[in-house]
Amino acid sequence: MSTPVVQAASEQERGGRRPTAWRLLMNNRLAAAGFFVLATIIVVALLAPILPLHDPNVTSPADRLLPVFSEGHPLGTDHLGRDVLARLVWGTRVSLVVGVSAALLAAFTGSLIGLVAGYMGGRADNLMMRGIDMLMAFPYILLALAIVAVLGPGLLNALYAIAVVNIPFFARNVRGITLGLSHREFVDAARLSGKSHLSIVLTEILPNVLPVIVITMSTTVGWMILETAGLSFLGLGAQPPQADLGSMLGQGRSLLFTAPMISVIPGVMVFLIVMSINLFGDGIRDVLDPRLRAGTLSRPMAVTRLDRKEVPELDETARRSALAVRELETGFEGVDGIEMAVKRVSFTLRTGECLGLVGESGSGKSVTALSLLRLVASPPGTITGGAVAIGGRDVFALPEAEIASLRGGKMAYIFQDPLTTLHPLFTIGEQIAEAVRAHQPVSRRKAHEKAVELLRSVRIPDPEQRAKSYPHQLSGGQRQRVGIAMALANDPDIIVADEPTTALDVTVQAEILQLLQVLRRERGLALLFITHDFGVVAEICDRVAVMRHGEIVEEGETRDVLGSPRHPYTRRLIACVPRPGQGSAFLDAIRAMPAETEGAGIA
Amino acid sequence: MAAYIAKRLIAAIPVLLGLSLIVFLIMAMIPGDPATAILGSYATPENVARLNRSLGLDKPLPQQYVIWLGNLLQGDFGRSYALNRPVLDEILERFSATLILAGTSLVLCSVFGLLAGIVSAVRQFGWVDRIVTFFVLIGISIPSFFLGLLFILFFAVQLRVLPASGMYAIYGGGDLPDLLRHLVLPATTLAVVATGVVARLTRTAMLEVLRQDYIRTARAKGLSERKVIYRHALKAAMVSIVPVIGLQAGFVLGGAVYIETVFQWPGIGAMLVKAISTRDILLVQGGVLFVAAAYVFVNLIADVIQAMLDPRLKA
Amino acid sequence: MKKLLAAAFSAALLAFISPASAQTPPNALIIGQIAEPQSLDPHAVTAVNDFRILVNIYDGLTRYKDGTLEVEPSLAESWEVSDDGLTYTFKLRSDVTFHDGTSFNAEAVKFNFDRILDEDHPYHDTGPFPLAFFFSAVDEVSVIDDLTVEFRLSEPYAPFLSNLAYPTGLIASPAAIEQHGKDFGRNPSGTGAYKFEEWEANSRVVVTRNEDYWDGPPALEAVIFRPITDANTRIAEMLSGGLDVMVEVPPDSLQQFRSDPSFEVHEQAGPHVWYVMLNLKEGPFTDLKVRQAANYAVNKTALVENILQGTAEVAAGPIPPAFAWAYNEEVEPYPYDPDQARQLLEEAGYDGQELTFYVAEGGSGMLDPIAMGTAIQADLEAVGLPTRIETYEWNTFLGQVNPGLEGKADMAEMAWMTNDPDTLPFLTLRTEAFPDEGGFNSGYYSNEEVDKLLEEARAATSQERRAELYKQVQEIVHEDAPWIFVANWKQNAITRAEVSGFKLQPSFFLMLQDVAKQ
Repeated sequence: MSTPVVQAASEQERGGRRPTAWRLLMNNRLAAAGFFVLATIIVVALLAPILPLHDPNVTSPADRLLPVFSEGHPLGTDHLGRDVLARLVWGTRVSLVVGVSAALLAAFTGSLIGLVAGYMGGRADNLMMRGIDMLMAFPYILLALAIVAVLGPGLLNALYAIAVVNIPFFARNVRGITLGLSHREFVDAARLSGKSHLSIVLTEILPNVLPVIVITMSTTVGWMILETAGLSFLGLGAQPPQADLGSMLGQGRSLLFTAPMISVIPGVMVFLIVMSINLFGDGIRDVLDPRLRAGTLSRPMAVTRLDRKEVPELDETARRSALAVRELETGFEGVDGIEMAVKRVSFTLRTGECLGLVGESGSGKSVTALSLLRLVASPPGTITGGAVAIGGRDVFALPEAEIASLRGGKMAYIFQDPLTTLHPLFTIGEQIAEAVRAHQPVSRRKAHEKAVELLRSVRIPDPEQRAKSYPHQLSGGQRQRVGIAMALANDPDIIVADEPTTALDVTVQAEILQLLQVLRRERGLALLFITHDFGVVAEICDRVAVMRHGEIVEEGETRDVLGSPRHPYTRRLIACVPRPGQGSAFLDAIRAMPAETEGAGIA
Repeated sequence: MAAYIAKRLIAAIPVLLGLSLIVFLIMAMIPGDPATAILGSYATPENVARLNRSLGLDKPLPQQYVIWLGNLLQGDFGRSYALNRPVLDEILERFSATLILAGTSLVLCSVFGLLAGIVSAVRQFGWVDRIVTFFVLIGISIPSFFLGLLFILFFAVQLRVLPASGMYAIYGGGDLPDLLRHLVLPATTLAVVATGVVARLTRTAMLEVLRQDYIRTARAKGLSERKVIYRHALKAAMVSIVPVIGLQAGFVLGGAVYIETVFQWPGIGAMLVKAISTRDILLVQGGVLFVAAAYVFVNLIADVIQAMLDPRLKA
Repeated sequence: MKKLLAAAFSAALLAFISPASAQTPPNALIIGQIAEPQSLDPHAVTAVNDFRILVNIYDGLTRYKDGTLEVEPSLAESWEVSDDGLTYTFKLRSDVTFHDGTSFNAEAVKFNFDRILDEDHPYHDTGPFPLAFFFSAVDEVSVIDDLTVEFRLSEPYAPFLSNLAYPTGLIASPAAIEQHGKDFGRNPSGTGAYKFEEWEANSRVVVTRNEDYWDGPPALEAVIFRPITDANTRIAEMLSGGLDVMVEVPPDSLQQFRSDPSFEVHEQAGPHVWYVMLNLKEGPFTDLKVRQAANYAVNKTALVENILQGTAEVAAGPIPPAFAWAYNEEVEPYPYDPDQARQLLEEAGYDGQELTFYVAEGGSGMLDPIAMGTAIQADLEAVGLPTRIETYEWNTFLGQVNPGLEGKADMAEMAWMTNDPDTLPFLTLRTEAFPDEGGFNSGYYSNEEVDKLLEEARAATSQERRAELYKQVQEIVHEDAPWIFVANWKQNAITRAEVSGFKLQPSFFLMLQDVAKQ
């Protein structure tokens, strides 16, 4: 698993040089551009009263429809001889105020409905959501039209109409999040502590929902300005002579063929405003969205980026062993340069041998394992140095296609937590058959038969039926067996098992370990076993390497390391393994080294 | 699955009924009445009262609603005051025109939105991504009615390559190519915004999925990048994209109001705008009911597709 | 999926390649209408848009003489009016048949009027007939013989003959009404120059030449009426060749067509008045001087020449010049004189109270109501009459204005198109036409002398006498200034150069009997 490492890295960032939200926002060039355009427009609109502009409402029919760049009227005049520039500036002011107010109103009302519905649940929720459904099923423009028809025309009424039309977005989004939150432990705790519903909603739930509201707002403000313009365009917004962009467009529309600039100018302004809001809003979303917070949401490449400064020579041992790693360096690119996760790691795995790679979360052991076949998500991952030899060849020197043929072919992976590592939308049979067909030219049918056979070989009962199941329909232990079956699909020489038993309970864990042992013996596999648990190591591994902060601190025969660990970190890891019958002695062992633990943790 | 669909259909009935009640109330609240609308300048109180009597509008509101509902259950949508014809006839004609327009737009926005989103996610930060992102931004930022006018100005008036309005040519038309020629501009205009929305969503959904552990698993199996993206990632991304395409149906149906007005498309959106202004209550009632039902139906389809894609939702 | 895409793409390509220049058929005329007709039942409609079609399918007992608003015989060859003005006897034209083959006779005439006036008539439920009150003076219609019909009125009603030429007076085939009932409006049958062929909803209404037309068959084989509500789209269609005739061209686009030799622009002043009614019951306009000040303040010339681009003329009083025989040439429009306006306001001791101005967003005959309202508002502000505009969509607007302005507004835009000089003043300027009495005097103008003159004019049977009375009315009303008199519209139309014999009528009808196309 690579996630712990990434988390650890961002943890550090938070403590130290984590960039402020504002800096992150401005680092996004598009968002910054959007912000500056928007800010310019807002400033000009705010300054309208003191700018040297014509009175936007003074008509002069004799000077009507002057072209752009006329003297005294840089943007020309409209059908009543009013200065278009002045109307544009004042109109922008009005449109911005209306759009933003409508967004705030919709956000407030919608969020309130969402909060109440999500928090109360049950019948109230059902009732409110049916109401929201009705709103959504009503074509939005017609709803706005009807509301304006009832209330009478005018900007304020148009504003209400737009707000009402947009309530569902907020209500639905907020309800979803609230519903999830209202069953969480901290909310239950607050309830038990006797807090009132109001104060729970305000102090426990609202702060967690707020980012969603802001995100929804940033994505709908632009839309609402468009809709306001639309209503005004249909003649239901601003009352003449007041200018707003939509009504300018609407009035200019009848002159589209004779004086296109009259409608093009406000049209372009609406476009600019909405575009800059969208750009800026996207930026805000990127900063606020927890999924995106670590950096930009970026697509991992097929292989990890390779940027080796120097290539170490492969020694004789490396050439002859099943797998050899020499001075491997892998890091993660962040805002402030590369954060190294694996530092000059070297080890060798001989044919048929089982090597345990042991360390705590964040020690770099998973990244090491994924680096072997360039599977570290990239960006941000980058392999900056070292070499990996499989069967004597430097993997990092191979073209992508050959790496792909090694993956799941000569060397296969078994991952932790198969609920997330198996594809939820394909049956397990399909997924295993797919692994077969990726490396062997067999028919779909053949591959399926092979998949069933593999399922049987990992002791899954009734494999024909099980093959048709989806991952969520299996138990954790069965899923892990599926993961193993998938790894065995093409008779690999090497299996990298990344914490394959961590997510399982103890009895299942033992079964899986036993299965791995059996398979290893039967098939003569080399096994790189990654774990944090020395107990597991003792059971299965021939040799062990201990990793800490991206480095191997100790390596040797399992027996030796367990018997006389040299490094204090190793000792601590060993002490963490409870032994049956050990009882209070185990706790004493842990108590005996707090100072060291802390010291080690910080160093 | 059948039970699920039936359940959803039954759940839609109260929504539609509630909607019809809301429409009825709103129409009753709008100042002015059908008689005023029909009489125009000649709407004296006396004339209005006489006309209302002959239209059956002098009865109390609840009674009017109940009568309407009763007739509806027998398949009778009533008669339009302004058009002097059965509401159902008018709606069926108008609705099929809107279905052609909105359906085409929905297909366009799904196909192009998906393609653009996928390409843009796969080539993230490449020039294709930049171009797509740029056009998507323009698409979601430009007022559709404005875009429609620009299209007419350019393609119909300047270049004269496409007709400016209508659904069929007055002469020599009526066949499929004729319809397509008339469909190009309005359907494109209508699809632009929705395409942008779908493309953005697809891009995000794809990027998110590509970060998932099971994608790494797929790669670790040695699958080709093509398979990883188009089989594993796309299928998972579709689960969150499909409902949004369903929601776009609402936007497309709503946006049709502008577009039908601008392009003179004889659809239900333009009809409803006019019916609201002529206070043609029965026509508005029937029309909104149809549009809402279409919306509910499209979303149902989207949900069914989603459930078919994601076995976890079937439970 | 790929195949589907390929098919869609090639279809789109095909659509692009085929030539797009619209072609109109050789001997058929395509007319761009402003809206879909409501119905083709002449008694069920109220819109000028529908009248344009109807007058070509139906005839009335009378019709307007070409280029005037004076009546001449049509289906009635001649008529006699009794001295008391209560009995009208019409001699009908013989050998006229309806398009459905049934013959036109006195029974048919009686059927038509009984249907709309008699609530017990078996086909009264094929209505509603909103304009039936045009004939509310008719007591009884009786058949004297096959070709003679007699109308008994309950009171003398001078506009009667003119109303017979109006669409509400057009004669429809009783047989067709009996056959189609409520759907007669979609299956019309009359005696007119064109026969109804088809009505494809929201797309077109097609009428074809009536070979047996009693006044000689028309030159055109067919006329196609296309509803195009959006003015820009209508222009685009006209420019791209999809239309032969287009009506109600926006003023600013006229210029473009004027300079293009492939189009011809037609204009015709009609019986139309565009005015701003003032609230005489309360507020500043109760004072005559403030009303006159408002009339001086508004630059009507700028309005008609710039905003309306010369598609209208400045109005002087309540009766438009199109009623030539009743129009008082001596009444001059209020000149644009802001100083005079300011002075009058000062004399009146006007306190600067803000005025509320109802402006429509559209509506029949309203021209460009928002632009005009805005310009008027700006002119009023300029002389110190602060004005706040409230705009309403047309039907809401009528719902607000027709019940009276009291308690709501100080002024409201309004426009009327009528077929007789009697109609507008009778409905909007009499004390007995206050909204609560069922009239349209929404500004509460009341002048006993005007009331008396109008009553007398309605009962008078001689046109000279009527003209004299209407001229007096114009003088008094001009002086009392219950309205701001603004404009008389000149309707317009554009035809392609191939179209000949096209002429607009003051009645706003579109008579296509003599139109041809090369």
